[in-house]
Amino acid sequence: METNKIAVNKLNLFYGDFQALHDINIEIKEKEVTALIGPSGCGKSTFIRTLNRMNDLIDIVKIDGTIQYDAMDIYKQWDLIELRKKVGMVFQKPNPFPMSIYDNIAYGPRTHGIKSRQKLNNIVENSLDQASLLDEVKDRLHKPALGLSGGQQQRLCIARVLAVEPDVVLMDEPTSALDPISTSRIEDLIDELKKSYTIVIVTHNMQQAGRISDKTAFFLHGKIEEFGGTDQIFFNPVSSKTEAYISGKFG
Amino acid sequence: MTGIDVLKNRRSNTVQSSPQSRKINRQEIIAKGIICFFTAFTIAILVWIVGYLMVKGFRYNNDVSYDVTTQIEREIPLDNTDEDVVFIINSKVRSEDIPVAGLRKLYNKARKENWGFYNQQNLKVVPFAYEGAGSFSDDVMNFILTGSDLETYRKNVSQTSSWEDMIHRVGQTPGALGFIPASKAEGLPKSVKVLSVRRISLIVSPSVLRIQDGRMMREISQADADKLFSGKVVNWKEIGGIDLPVTLVFWDSKDASSIINRDEPVLAKIQIVHSEEDFYSSIVNTNGAVALGHYSSIESEGLSFIPVLRHETGWNLTWHFIFESPARSGQWGGVSYIILNTFFLILFTIIFSTPVGIMAAIYLVEYTNQGRLMRILRMGTETLAGIPSIVFGLFGFIFFVQICGLGIGFISSTLTITLMVLPTIIRSSEEALKSVPQSFREGSLALGASKLQTIIKVVLPAASPGILTGIILAIGRTVGETAVLIYTLGSNYDLVTGPSSSARVLSLHLYMLFSEALSFDRTFATGAILVILVLITNLSTTWIVKGVNKNASV
Repeated sequence: METNKIAVNKLNLFYGDFQALHDINIEIKEKEVTALIGPSGCGKSTFIRTLNRMNDLIDIVKIDGTIQYDAMDIYKQWDLIELRKKVGMVFQKPNPFPMSIYDNIAYGPRTHGIKSRQKLNNIVENSLDQASLLDEVKDRLHKPALGLSGGQQQRLCIARVLAVEPDVVLMDEPTSALDPISTSRIEDLIDELKKSYTIVIVTHNMQQAGRISDKTAFFLHGKIEEFGGTDQIFFNPVSSKTEAYISGKFG
Repeated sequence: MTGIDVLKNRRSNTVQSSPQSRKINRQEIIAKGIICFFTAFTIAILVWIVGYLMVKGFRYNNDVSYDVTTQIEREIPLDNTDEDVVFIINSKVRSEDIPVAGLRKLYNKARKENWGFYNQQNLKVVPFAYEGAGSFSDDVMNFILTGSDLETYRKNVSQTSSWEDMIHRVGQTPGALGFIPASKAEGLPKSVKVLSVRRISLIVSPSVLRIQDGRMMREISQADADKLFSGKVVNWKEIGGIDLPVTLVFWDSKDASSIINRDEPVLAKIQIVHSEEDFYSSIVNTNGAVALGHYSSIESEGLSFIPVLRHETGWNLTWHFIFESPARSGQWGGVSYIILNTFFLILFTIIFSTPVGIMAAIYLVEYTNQGRLMRILRMGTETLAGIPSIVFGLFGFIFFVQICGLGIGFISSTLTITLMVLPTIIRSSEEALKSVPQSFREGSLALGASKLQTIIKVVLPAASPGILTGIILAIGRTVGETAVLIYTLGSNYDLVTGPSSSARVLSLHLYMLFSEALSFDRTFATGAILVILVLITNLSTTWIVKGVNKNASV
């Protein structure tokens, strides 16, 4: 029943001459939350950005190895736009576009050719509802999105991703710029979303990883030091470095 | 504890200032003073410049030399009739009075008569006459026609059938001029008004106009003329003339009574004569003689006179000036066509330059690597932005006018200015695009939008305030551009009718008015319009950017 959504095999990534990722092998299962933890500069953000080819934006990045999504190579077999539709991404800092809340959500569907007003209204409503933002903003859908609070903006960004009906949602430290209350709302949301989406989340916050994830991968110096069930990583780590990191000895 | 104790305590608690800190404080105060002074100085200079331009642009304030004094006569007595004559004009004519010589010219059409000669209003003169009132009509005709041709007069004037008809037709015809007996001048309709006549000249003995020690009585201000006839001036040198005693000559004692019967002592010599011949001969023969006489006698008797300076002041920049079309190289009429031409030039420059500029900026920011080529391109645009505009004008003249054969005209100048403002637009658009956060692009791309969709739907709207600022800067440059246009736009003051029609814009009009000495007042009025236009452009930047930013701002 649990199938591999994303399978990464021998992934090496270079920024020019600097190798940022070494031999990454990881399998991400459908409808699970996979947390990527590790100290700053360990390559977890770089890794998550390769999953929907956001690293293509940086000219000097070179990649070898394979990444398969739905058993097809994302570089060779997937069309870039289709891939990004399927594998959505939420960024560290909330980045709503300077448009109204409605237009922000409708942006994705519109670029994919949905023009019907009725359809767009439904999509916007559903996405906001899924992101548990609808009640807060339904009276001001046509007000600027930048007028929302930071936590609301991040949930808006999640809703924006959900509006294009993705399969996988990548989250790159989605709560690092938010206050504890907003953070807990987003965590609740992730718990909710897990039922229908596969989620990969990068986090600095180990408690967060413990709270929300099913699997955890510990990155260190561009390598996956340890990957396994969250409970196992947190309570029974195999590697001594994992244990040291989790118990707060470095990082 | 009393209040004083509290104060004492407090003082003792303060930290004593060290010499070092006192020095620093002193330096602080001096520096602040210097900065404040220079700021105030700069602001004062700016306010003075703009204020001066505005005052000169809005009001004219001139001393104009006339053959006649400022004394105006509403009703003019005729030689052989008891009744006085009143000249009437259509109310649209912006004249209140006219020298008698001008009035005669208007009736005789010696040149293509136009009110513009007298009040810069481009309006053809339409003279009316009525010959059915017997000796009165003949007398008026004699007054108008002193020394002129009866045939031309008859050909030029339109005859009316009665005085009522005259008033009616003058009221109906723009630029009309007519005459009626003084008795009919009561209760004129609103469309008709009285044109007063100035016909008193300052007649002098030829001796007054001699040159002595490099001094000569060329003209006299009205104030000096008044002083002269109040008897206070004893010698011509007191009012700028040569060393010669003044003699005031009066026709008879009635004329002289105006000054003799006053309380103040009369210092100047006075001579009273009782016949016309005596009057003229005593003026000519008495050294330093001066008298007030009709302008017509100067011509008929061959007398000398001193022109009088009339102080004229009024509104320079009027609605008429803005809304009327220019005439006679801009000496008459207004600048309406020229303002429109300016707008057309701006419009087409923006139409040509904006798409090219923005696309170039998009290419430079979004599609190229920041390599060597980019540095060269950037240096190129910066150099182009700094080239003096007259060089662009030269290029435009050689390339567009000559080689492309577009001729001097609207299209050549628009293309040349487009080239000139392109670097400005490219640079500011580039900066605006660069300032769009990368996270917007990432967010859009991560949703599966293509690069082009991202640029059009997210990056450009976010950059639009900056791009608009660049466009408005370009507009500002276009409004103020003159050098390019001298070579490529020509100097026709009509409305632009096609791509190859020569035209004038405000800055060019200003240059022409000034360099061809057409009208100093109009130069300033045009300058004031330019200043206001630039002011509006700059203010609109703020408004537009605010409006565009509405969605982006919190």
